[in-house]
Amino acid sequence: MKKLLTAVFLLLLVLVAVFTLSWSRWSYAAQDREAILAPTTAVHPAGTDELGRDRLVRTAAALLIGLTGATLAAAISIVVAAGVGLLAGFSPRWIAAALMFFSDGFLSLPWLFFLMMVRSLLPLTASPLMTAVTTFVVLAFLGWPAFARAIYRGALGMRGSEWMIQGRASGLTTWQLMRLHVVPQLRSLIWPQFLICVPAFIMAEANLGALGLGVGEPIPSWGAMLMELDNTALLVSSHWVYLPIALLVVVLMILESFASEVKVYA
Amino acid sequence: MNSSLPTFSMRRTWLDLSELQRSERQMEGGGRLRGFISIPISLGLLFRLREPPFTGRAMMRLLITMAARTMRALLLMLFAAVGTILLVRFAPGFFSDAREMDARYAQVAQAEMQMESARQQRVSVTAAKALEGWLHGDLGTSRQYQTPVVDLLTARIPVSALLLGKGIVCGWLLAICAALPISGLRGKNILWGAPFTVLLAIPVAAMATACIVSDAGGPVLVLSLLIAAREFKFLQSLLESAWRSPHLLLGRAQGMRARALLTLHILPNLAPQLCALATLSLVTALGALIPVEVVFTVPGVGELAWSAVMNRDLPVLATISLLMACAVGLAGWIAPRPAMLEVA
Repeated sequence: MKKLLTAVFLLLLVLVAVFTLSWSRWSYAAQDREAILAPTTAVHPAGTDELGRDRLVRTAAALLIGLTGATLAAAISIVVAAGVGLLAGFSPRWIAAALMFFSDGFLSLPWLFFLMMVRSLLPLTASPLMTAVTTFVVLAFLGWPAFARAIYRGALGMRGSEWMIQGRASGLTTWQLMRLHVVPQLRSLIWPQFLICVPAFIMAEANLGALGLGVGEPIPSWGAMLMELDNTALLVSSHWVYLPIALLVVVLMILESFASEVKVYA
Repeated sequence: MNSSLPTFSMRRTWLDLSELQRSERQMEGGGRLRGFISIPISLGLLFRLREPPFTGRAMMRLLITMAARTMRALLLMLFAAVGTILLVRFAPGFFSDAREMDARYAQVAQAEMQMESARQQRVSVTAAKALEGWLHGDLGTSRQYQTPVVDLLTARIPVSALLLGKGIVCGWLLAICAALPISGLRGKNILWGAPFTVLLAIPVAAMATACIVSDAGGPVLVLSLLIAAREFKFLQSLLESAWRSPHLLLGRAQGMRARALLTLHILPNLAPQLCALATLSLVTALGALIPVEVVFTVPGVGELAWSAVMNRDLPVLATISLLMACAVGLAGWIAPRPAMLEVA
C-alpha cells in the first residue's frame, strides 16, 4: 500500500511538472528582463531568478531532467554491474578476482571525490546539452562497482546450487542457464539495486552541480538551482528560492522510501 | 550433514548463556567496574581471540590473511594512483602552458618548453616520474600555487583530520544517543527516525549552505548530521535485533539491568559490526569533506582537492587521490570481514 502511495505521489509530481512546462508561456531559458528577482505574480507564480527566468518552470524542468537523467544513468549502471557481476560469477576464479579487483579500484576512492575528479577532467566548456549528457554518463559509468559486487555475490551463490548442476547435467550451456534461470532469479536483487541507484545519482548530480561541475547553464538542474541559495540578497527577497531544495528533498524521500519498500518485499 | 547446522546455533546459545552467567557472577560480586573494563577487552572478540583456544596454526593463517589483505590494499592504492595519473594525462588542456603565450620568452626557451612538453606526453614517462617521486618522498610542485605539494598538504592535513575526527565522533554520539532508546521501544515508531530520513535526503552542499544562511552551526555540525543520518538506521536495526536475542530476553526476565546487558552483552557482541560501520563512516566523511570545506571555505584537503580539480593541478590531484586511497584502504584493512572472523 505504501509502495503504491509513493509511486502515485511521484507520478503526480511528474505530471504536475509536465503540465507546468506545457502550460507556462515561459521556457526554462527565457528571460523576462522586466521582472528580474520578481516576487510572486500572476505571470510568475514562484517568482524569477536573478536573470529573470521563471522559477516554477525551471524547477519543473530540473525535476524532469534530474529524474530522467538519473533513471537512465541508473539503468546503464545496473546493466554494466549485472554484466560484470555475472561474468565474474560464472568465469574462472582468476578472471573473477581480476574483475573484482578492478571494481574495488573504483571503490578505493570516495564516491564524490572520484566523480568530481573524473567530471572535471572531461571538457568543461562544452554545450549545455553536452555537459548534461556528460554528467549523467559519468554517473552511469562510475556507479556500477558496488552493485557489481552485490550481483557477483548473488551469482556466486547460484553457481553451486543444485538446480544449476541439474541444468548443466541436462545439457544447457552457461549462456542458456544465465538467460533462462540466473537473470530471472537475480531480478529480485537487481531491481532494488536500481531503485537505490536513482536517488543516489540525483543526490550526486546535485552535489556536483553545487560545486560547479554539473549540468551547464541555462539547462536547469538541481545542482545549479542549489547554487541560488548562496545569494543572500535573493534569499531575503523571496521565500520561493527554497522551492527547488524543498522539492528535491521530497523527491529523494519518495524515491528512498519506494526503494526501501521494494527491498522489504524483495 | 543436516545435524551440523543446528550445532552452530546451539553452540552460540550456549556461549551466550555462559557469558550471561559469568556476567551475573560479576555483578553479584560487585564487579561493576570489571564489567565496564571488560568492554575494551571484549573488543578482542572482534577476532574471537578468546574462543576457541588460539593455536599456532590459526595464528599463522591469520598472519597470512593479514599479509594478503595488506598486499591487496597496497595494490589498490597503486591502482588508484596510476588511474589518476592516466586520467589527468588524457584530460583536455593538460599540456597547455601559459608561458608559451608570453612574448617575453625567447624562441629558444619556447622550443625548450615544447620539447619538455613532448617528453611528458609519453604516459610511461609521466607515471614513472610521479611514482619515482613518491617513493623518494617528493610529491612534486603544485602547478597552480608553484609550491611543493608537501608544504600544501602539511598545512592542510591537520585541519581536515580534526574536522573529520570531530564530525565522525559527534555523528556517532548523535546516532547512538538516538538509536539506543528507540531500539528499546516495543512498537515500531517511524516518527522517531523521521529526522534522520529527512537528513538523508538533503545533499551535503545544500545542508552546508543552509547552515551558513541560517548562521547556525559549522562544518562539524554538517558532517555530524550526515554521519548520524547514515549510521542511525544500521545502528537501530543492529540494536533492535540484539535486544530481541533469546539470551538477552532471559537476562531481562531474570531482572538484569539494561545498563549491564548493554555493557556486558550487546556492545561486546556488536563490536565487529560497529567497527565495520565506523570504517564506512570514514569513507562517507571523506566524500563529504569536499563540499563541506568548499562551502565553508575551510583551508583543508577537501578544499585543496576542489581547487586542484578546477585547475587540473596534476601533482596535487594525484597526491590527494593517493591519500584518499590510503585512507579508504586502511579503513578496509581494519574493518573485520566474515572470512577474517572464520580464520581467527
